[in-house]
Amino acid sequence: MKRLFKIFLLSGLVLAGTQLYGQSQADMCINEYLVYNTDDFVDDYGHKSGWIELFNSSYGTVNIGGCYLTNDPNNLTKYIIPKGDVLTKIKPRQHILFWADNQPHRGTFHVNFRLEESDEVILVASDGRTIIDRIKIKKDLDTNASYGRIEDGIGTRDGSEGWNLLQRTSPSTNNSGSDKESASTIFKRIDPYGFIMAVTAMSVVFLALILLYVVFKNYGKYNIRKNRERAEQTHGKQAAKAEEETSAEIYAAIAAAMHMYAMDDESHDIENTILTIARVTKNYSPWSSKIYTLRENPCKK
Amino acid sequence: MDNQGLFTQIADNLSQFLQYTGFANATWGHILMIAIGLVFIYLAIKKDWEPLLLVPIGFGIIIGNIPLFPGLSVGVYEEGSVLNILYQGVQQGWYPPLIFLGIGAMTDFSALISNPKLLLIGAAAQFGIFGAYAIALLMGFSPAEAGAIGIIGGADGPTAIFLSSRLAPDLMGAIAVSAYSYMALVPVIQPPVMRLLTTNKERLIKMKPPRAVSQTEKKLFPIIGFLMTAFIVPSGLPLLGMLFFGNLLKESGVTRRLAETARGPLIDVITILIGVTVGCSTQADKFLQLKSVYIFVLGATSFIIATATGVLFVKLFNVFLKEGNKINPLIGNAGVSAVPDSARVSNNVGLEYDKTNYLLMHAMGPNVAGVIGSAVAAGILLGFLS
Repeated sequence: MKRLFKIFLLSGLVLAGTQLYGQSQADMCINEYLVYNTDDFVDDYGHKSGWIELFNSSYGTVNIGGCYLTNDPNNLTKYIIPKGDVLTKIKPRQHILFWADNQPHRGTFHVNFRLEESDEVILVASDGRTIIDRIKIKKDLDTNASYGRIEDGIGTRDGSEGWNLLQRTSPSTNNSGSDKESASTIFKRIDPYGFIMAVTAMSVVFLALILLYVVFKNYGKYNIRKNRERAEQTHGKQAAKAEEETSAEIYAAIAAAMHMYAMDDESHDIENTILTIARVTKNYSPWSSKIYTLRENPCKK
Repeated sequence: MDNQGLFTQIADNLSQFLQYTGFANATWGHILMIAIGLVFIYLAIKKDWEPLLLVPIGFGIIIGNIPLFPGLSVGVYEEGSVLNILYQGVQQGWYPPLIFLGIGAMTDFSALISNPKLLLIGAAAQFGIFGAYAIALLMGFSPAEAGAIGIIGGADGPTAIFLSSRLAPDLMGAIAVSAYSYMALVPVIQPPVMRLLTTNKERLIKMKPPRAVSQTEKKLFPIIGFLMTAFIVPSGLPLLGMLFFGNLLKESGVTRRLAETARGPLIDVITILIGVTVGCSTQADKFLQLKSVYIFVLGATSFIIATATGVLFVKLFNVFLKEGNKINPLIGNAGVSAVPDSARVSNNVGLEYDKTNYLLMHAMGPNVAGVIGSAVAAGILLGFLS
C-alpha cells in the first residue's frame, strides 16, 4: 500500500512538472497580425512585409526558442524559432514580432512563409506536436490594417470573440491602452479626497478581522464546552467548574512562584530554564536529534 | 627624474587624491544628515529608544552620507556596489517578509485567541493609514505616494518599506526613516492622545482575565488566519504568508529549531541589513527635500489618528458590551502594530491611574491584531494603487 502511494505521489510530481513546463510556453499566444504592408512598420533591412505578433500573457519570462511557427497544419515544424538567441526570452506581458517575409536567413524573427499565401498561422510548442495557438487569417483585410485581440492575450483562438480590426496597428506594443491611465491616476480622478479608498479599505480590513473574530469566538466556545465535558467526566461537576474559572493569570502566577522558588532556593543551581505548565508530547524528529546536531568529541588516543 | 619633477608629481597626486576625499565633496546636506545619524545613535544609546533599529539606521545614515566622488561604485545608489547589492533586499521588498517570518515566530497570539473581539481594535486603528492617505492627497501627493506615506500610520517599519518599494520607490528612504522614528517615539506620541480621549473612570476599568488557550487553538490560528486574510487580500500574501508561517513554526511544537532560527539569528541578520541599508538610502541629495518634511509631518499625523481611532473605537465598543465585559480604552492605542511598544505604553499609562491594573496581556491582543491589520491594509493599498 505504501509503495503504491509512493508511486502515485511520484507520478503526480512528474506529471505536474511536465504540465508546468508546458504551461510556460502555453502562456504565449498570437496577438495581432498584418497581412498587406505597404506603409506600415519596416524591418531592420528597410523592407515592408506582413507580420505576426506574439504575446506572453503570463507574469514570468517565457523562452520560445525551439517553438515552431507554421502556416501549414500538415507541417507543424515548418519554421523553428532558433534556440540560443537571448531575444527569444520574452519578458512578462511583453510582445515579440515575426516578419512573414519568407526570408528566414535574415534572422531569428523572419519566418519561411508569407501571410498573403496563408490561411492560418499556428504556434507550436517545442515538442513539435502541441499546438499552443492558431488563428485563421482574414484575407479581406485592407492594406496596412491589422487584425488582433482587443485586449492583449484575451479572446478565442478562432477569432470569433475578443478579436477585431484594430483602429491602428500596434506592432510590439499593447493593442489597446498603451496610453491607458494607471490605477493611481484613476483613483486620483474618481476619489480626489481619499474618501472612497478609506471606506472601501477599512471595510475590507474589518471584514477580514471580523471573519477571524467569528471563527475564533465560536471555536473558543466549542473548546470551552468540550473541556468542561471532559473535566466533568473525570473530576465531577464542582472540580470542572473550579478548573474552568482558573484564569491564565493564575497559571502564570504559579509558574512565576515556582520559578522564583527555584531561583531563590540554594539547593538548586542557577539554570537557564523556562517553566511551562503544559503536557509535553515528545515527537521524534531528526532535526532535533543530538545524533545529527552534535559533533562527536575528538578521540584522543 | 630631477627632484623638482618628483615633488611636482607627488603634489599632483596628492591634489588628485584630495579630490576623492570626503572633505572635497562635502556639502551642508551631508553634514546635516550625518548630524541626524548621530542624533539617532545618541537617542538609541543614551535614551534607549528602539536601539535595535536606531543604531543600525543611524550608522547607516552616516555611511550613506559620507561625501563620495561619483563613479567609484561604492555608493548605495551605484549599481553593482556592495551597498547597492545589500539594498536590493529593501528595493525588491524581500527583507520585510523575512522580518515578518521572525515576528510570526516570536508572537504569542494567545491574548487574541482568548478574547477575539480585540481583533476589531486592531482593525479600527488602521484608520490612521487612510486618514493620512486622504491628507497626503490634499497636500498634492499622487495616490500611490499617498498610500505609501499613509502606511506609516500602521507603525510597522517592514510593511512601510515593502509598500513604499512598490508604490513610491523614490520616497522609500524618507518613509522608512519616518516609520522607524515614530515607532521609537511611540512612548512619547501616544500617551497624551490616550489621556485626552479617556475619562478617569474609563482608565480604571479592570478587564476580565484571559482564559487559558489550548495548544490546538494556537496551532489552528495561523492556518485559519492565513487562509481567511489571504483569500480576502491576496496582494498581502508575502507579508501575511510569512507572518502566519512563522507563527506555525512556533506553535506546531515540532519545528522548534526552525522557529528559533526565524525569531533569532534570521531576524537579527535581516534587521541589521534593513536598518543599515535604509539608513544608507538617505543620501543628502535624495533625502533633503521638502517632500521628506511633509512625509515626517504626515507620519506623525497618521500615528496620532491611528491612536485616536483605536481609543475611540473601544469607547464606542463599550457602549454595546455588558458590565464586566467592558474593555479599558487605554488598550485602544495598541491597535497600531508597534509590537510590543504600544502594548507597553497601554500598560504603563494604566498603571499610572491604578497600580494594580496590569493591561499588558490585554493590550497584546489588539497589538498583534494590528500586525495582521496593517499587513491586510498594505495588501489593499497595493491591490488598488499598483
